[in-house]
Amino acid sequence: MAERLSPLGAAFRPGMHGGPGAGPGVRLSEVTPPSIMEATAWPGRKGALAEAISAVTGLSLSARPNAGAVSAEASAFSIAPERFLVCGGAELPARLAAAITIETGTVVDLSHGRTALRIAGPRAEWVLSKLFAVDVAPAAFPVAEARATSHHEIFAQIQRTGPDQFDIFVFRSFARAFWTMLCDAAEEVGYEAAG
Amino acid sequence: MSPRRARSGGLIDRGRAISFTFDGKAYTGHAGDTLASALLANGVTLFGRSFKYHRPRGVYTAGVDEPNALVTVLKDGVREPNIPATLLEIHDGLEADSQNRFPSLDFDLNAVNQLGGPLFSAGFYYKTFMGPVMGPLKGTRFWMFCEHFIRRAAGLGRAGYEKDPARYERMNAFCDVLVIGSGPAGLMAAEAAALAGKRVILAEQEPRLGGTANWSGETIGGVSAADWAEAMAEKLAAMDNVRLLARTTVWGYYDGNNLAALERVADHLATAPRGLPRHRHWSIRAAKVVLATGALERPIVFPGNDRPGVMLAGAAMRYANEFGVLPGERIAVFTNNDSAYRAAAALRKAGAAIVAIIDVRQDISAAARKLAEEAGVAPLTGHAVVGTAGKRLAKISAQRFDAATGRLSGDVRPIEVDCLAVSGGWSPAIHLASQAGGSPVWDEKLSAFLPPEPTQDWLGAGALTGAATTAEALSAGRRAGSAAVGAEAPSSALPEAASPTLDPFPAPVFEIKAKGKAFVDLQHDVTADDIRLAHREGFVSVEHLKRYTTLGMATDQGKTSNVPGLAIMAEARGLPIDRVGATRFRPPFAPVSIGSLAAETHRHLKPDRLTPMHDWHVERGGRMMPAGLWHRPMIYGELGETVEQAYIREAAAVRRSVGICDVSTLGKIAVKGPDAAEFLDRVYTNVFSTLPIGKARYGLMLREDGIVLDDGTTWRLGEHDFLMTTTTANAGKVMQHLEYLLDIVWPELRVHLTSVTDQWAGASVAGPNARKVLEACITGTGLDDAALPFMGIVHGAIDDVPVMICRLSFSGELAYEVYCGAGHGLHVWEALVEAGAPYGIVPYGLEALGTLRIEKGHVTGAEMDGRTTARDLYLDWMLSKKKPFVGSALMDREGLIDRNRIRLVGLISLDGQPLGGGAHIVEKGSLDDLGASIGHVTAFCYSPALQKYIGLALVKGGKARHGTRAFVSDPLRRRFGPVEIVSHHFFDPEGRRMHG
Amino acid sequence: MLISCPYCGPRDLSEFSYQGDASRMRPDAASTDIKAWHDYVYNRPNPAGPHREYWQHTAGCRAHLIVTRDTLTHEIHEVTFARAALRAVGGRP
Ligand SMILES: [Zn+2]
Repeated sequence: MAERLSPLGAAFRPGMHGGPGAGPGVRLSEVTPPSIMEATAWPGRKGALAEAISAVTGLSLSARPNAGAVSAEASAFSIAPERFLVCGGAELPARLAAAITIETGTVVDLSHGRTALRIAGPRAEWVLSKLFAVDVAPAAFPVAEARATSHHEIFAQIQRTGPDQFDIFVFRSFARAFWTMLCDAAEEVGYEAAG
Repeated sequence: MSPRRARSGGLIDRGRAISFTFDGKAYTGHAGDTLASALLANGVTLFGRSFKYHRPRGVYTAGVDEPNALVTVLKDGVREPNIPATLLEIHDGLEADSQNRFPSLDFDLNAVNQLGGPLFSAGFYYKTFMGPVMGPLKGTRFWMFCEHFIRRAAGLGRAGYEKDPARYERMNAFCDVLVIGSGPAGLMAAEAAALAGKRVILAEQEPRLGGTANWSGETIGGVSAADWAEAMAEKLAAMDNVRLLARTTVWGYYDGNNLAALERVADHLATAPRGLPRHRHWSIRAAKVVLATGALERPIVFPGNDRPGVMLAGAAMRYANEFGVLPGERIAVFTNNDSAYRAAAALRKAGAAIVAIIDVRQDISAAARKLAEEAGVAPLTGHAVVGTAGKRLAKISAQRFDAATGRLSGDVRPIEVDCLAVSGGWSPAIHLASQAGGSPVWDEKLSAFLPPEPTQDWLGAGALTGAATTAEALSAGRRAGSAAVGAEAPSSALPEAASPTLDPFPAPVFEIKAKGKAFVDLQHDVTADDIRLAHREGFVSVEHLKRYTTLGMATDQGKTSNVPGLAIMAEARGLPIDRVGATRFRPPFAPVSIGSLAAETHRHLKPDRLTPMHDWHVERGGRMMPAGLWHRPMIYGELGETVEQAYIREAAAVRRSVGICDVSTLGKIAVKGPDAAEFLDRVYTNVFSTLPIGKARYGLMLREDGIVLDDGTTWRLGEHDFLMTTTTANAGKVMQHLEYLLDIVWPELRVHLTSVTDQWAGASVAGPNARKVLEACITGTGLDDAALPFMGIVHGAIDDVPVMICRLSFSGELAYEVYCGAGHGLHVWEALVEAGAPYGIVPYGLEALGTLRIEKGHVTGAEMDGRTTARDLYLDWMLSKKKPFVGSALMDREGLIDRNRIRLVGLISLDGQPLGGGAHIVEKGSLDDLGASIGHVTAFCYSPALQKYIGLALVKGGKARHGTRAFVSDPLRRRFGPVEIVSHHFFDPEGRRMHG
Repeated sequence: MLISCPYCGPRDLSEFSYQGDASRMRPDAASTDIKAWHDYVYNRPNPAGPHREYWQHTAGCRAHLIVTRDTLTHEIHEVTFARAALRAVGGRP
């Protein structure tokens, strides 16, 4: 089958850009996983949904607001009172659909509809703070947690996937515009765009 | 050595010379100089001309409160006017110009304005230019006539026309404590909060942290106050829970402890590194704020108080102590309080001669007397300055003065001076505290407003709260810092501060009444007499007074003039000052660059929203146009084609053979859950619960008030699984409408909604050969009428990519919408184009799409304009009578079923000319007689199928007018011509082609 | 102005959309009482003081919230999820 095409097009310019010179302040890359699923529970069923997702992905997920989990193969995070975004391999959609019955909730395949962009490095918090009015300090935004917010018209769901690493999920149609803004915001500290 | 630079002292870097120009003339200064200090060091006293009278003006302060010395900075071809020279750090290559002078600063033609006297008194704009009541120049017309000349003569600096190439950025910050002001109180507060482990931001508007410590000449903790501040700043900088923001003016205090600040990141650099913004707008959310904003000195108002060489005493002291600059060689001091004695001693120590200290008070403290001795002069108590002389200050005159009565007596004594340092007392910088809410409190003894009781989470410390000494400021700062984080104060001893024990209270003298112009607001040229005149004319409210005289409304926002102005008004009204009332301070505290407010949107005004096939369109000559945030091809122009030729070619190709159109922008919403069908029945006017799996149905949605909201097809993909499509324009609005209904109106329904607009790429393949094109590339499904009837849905693959195909038509032709994962969109599109090559497949854009739909009479947003009902659009066949739905209760109201409403019709141009969108329809009229409107054109095109210009319109009576004639009247485009009103179903009204 | 979303925490006003007066009552879907429908669609009290209103956290979790806001001071007294609150009382028909 044809490969899924990146929405970034010519806006993706690999290599080092901007900055004062002493190495990049951040590394920017597209990290859209093979599958992105949105799973939503009926009222009172979020715990059951979290369990079902955990069973399929091997993640340990709770029903707490903004909770998330990350492993080498999968990641998941809560983005709304009864809703999770679940990322994984090509087999995820079928397995998740089988595990989540209509009595628990519903799943929607967004593997093509969302693009994940990663910002990593010592200045990641600084650059993100230019774009989003959420507190990104580690104490306020611990690893694996997530935030839903927006940069002007661009809706973004952000998961902290490492001490200085964030994965930002945006609508695919906005990915190129957002990538361009992200690069622009990172120019001050210098960035490496990598595949 | 510059003529006015002291031999030693100051915090400037004497080892680093910096070259800059002022009015084209080259000067040198040192690193650490402001433009004001560097020019003063070079003996420059004339900085600009005043706003109304074009009087020569010098530098008056040393900081953010500067009313006079405003300059224009020229950088990268861009002019930035009205920058206070007192805040402008010099750098190599800095170019600054004085303002408001013609032809030169030294000789100004408009200075004759000052001879005009009363012409420019309070409210002169309102009075002088009201104009005659009758005649050709009456009222506003007279004003417009005069305005041109006034605007040339008045006003401050002039902005340029060049595009600003600078970068501006926004930064969102969160902290436990924001400390504003880095004087002794601010530094102690920041330290106390930081030692408790809290996240602290310390903002200082000056380049150097330390505030008064940098020029007080005191010692703190056994070292010079400036060294102490530097050590504190270093200590704080080393803590990773502290962020120090120098050159950062906190200018707004908003609800919820949200504060706005402007950081001047690169203004002081000769060249900014790539990527570094010029200014950064900080949006700071602080759990607590410590206001350590200090106090601003105010002048005494007296005749000739604006002459270059007159400045505030604290500023003169600051120039000597912080910059090593003497503002004069023969300096007199004029004061109503003790603080100016410190200035006298400091200026003497720096090398100036103090020729007089003129004090309105009869009795002064011992400490003040001692400082006078240090200054080498016996104070002239019970005296006042009553006049000044010289183009640059050369002489002052003093007279005996009774502070209790304000009466002058005795001989006028001339004193030769080149600088007069004035102090009228200190006003706590309550601006941010006032913005936060509450009314400031007048303190009779301090003759000053103190900050209000906090209504938000802030604490005050230092001179802001009336602290008179550095020792008080240090302890209050530490207390506030600890209290802000709810911690015990640090156990270490407070650093000791040595300062003279001065009398903190000024004599309540604000003005010396003698002959001559005495200025209250130097920047707006408002005199004490202007205020009294305004009072005589009936302006008693402070707010009215401000607007009438423009007192305090210039770029300095009355930092020096506010209290003297109120005092003069109070006296005129015979009331105590606190009864006259303080004005509420509003943001911004200091001018803010527009660029910083626009920040990153300065360059990315709106994000571009692109379909998966965007690059293909652009490469194939697609002329892209905005549709909301989306970019869509309007036409694919071929060489030499006009837009009209292109869309006619594209639309004709669809009718003749086959075309392909990118429909990925259609809104798509996944509607899932056991109650999904029931939900759709409630939101659509027609029934969806009966729709079989694998079929689509056209649906219409109303608002609660019965007006059409949107239309589109909804596809049933499973028992509990629907895919709703919306128009491109209304996707967001429909989503919000549905979410509202589920959250608020029917929370019991088990339905989930997800926007899947971006999940699917969509291509519409339309035309008589559409099926043949698809059959050439599809696998896994048949496409004949049995397998895929009209409004049917099948799943298959194109070039191994899974696709979902629905047979539906917007063009009236046999047509299919082919959906696939967006990441495969380009691949499938190219496969379709390749499969269509034998049939001459043509990509078509929005213009052709519009043409095809007008020929069919399909409605879009132009007709569903938020005012039309289903009946207006002849869609009443879609209104189910079997069930209630959103809008069903109110859609039959009398006014909505009136036969005379404007309703959908078709139009044919009878003169062979295009119709214009938005043009009115009239029954009679002419090019110059517009006629009475009976409706308007909503869409028009040249129809290749009919070979005519046609359009859709909303016309009174609708169908009843079919077959009649009218006129299109479009005065804006000078178009008037005959039309025939017809059915909006122009082409193939039976729909044989799409079913065929 | 900040609104404390019970899911996302305090967020700037710009992330929310005002969705109207939360005291209005939607008549039964099949009701033909035009006055009741008019009241629901058009007629609003305009209190000086506490006001219950719907806000959607459009740029965040997208939940509708019931916000009790003082129209005189902008002070927000309470924020709750609308759906949970309304489900408990059978919606706002
Ligand atoms: Zn939220």
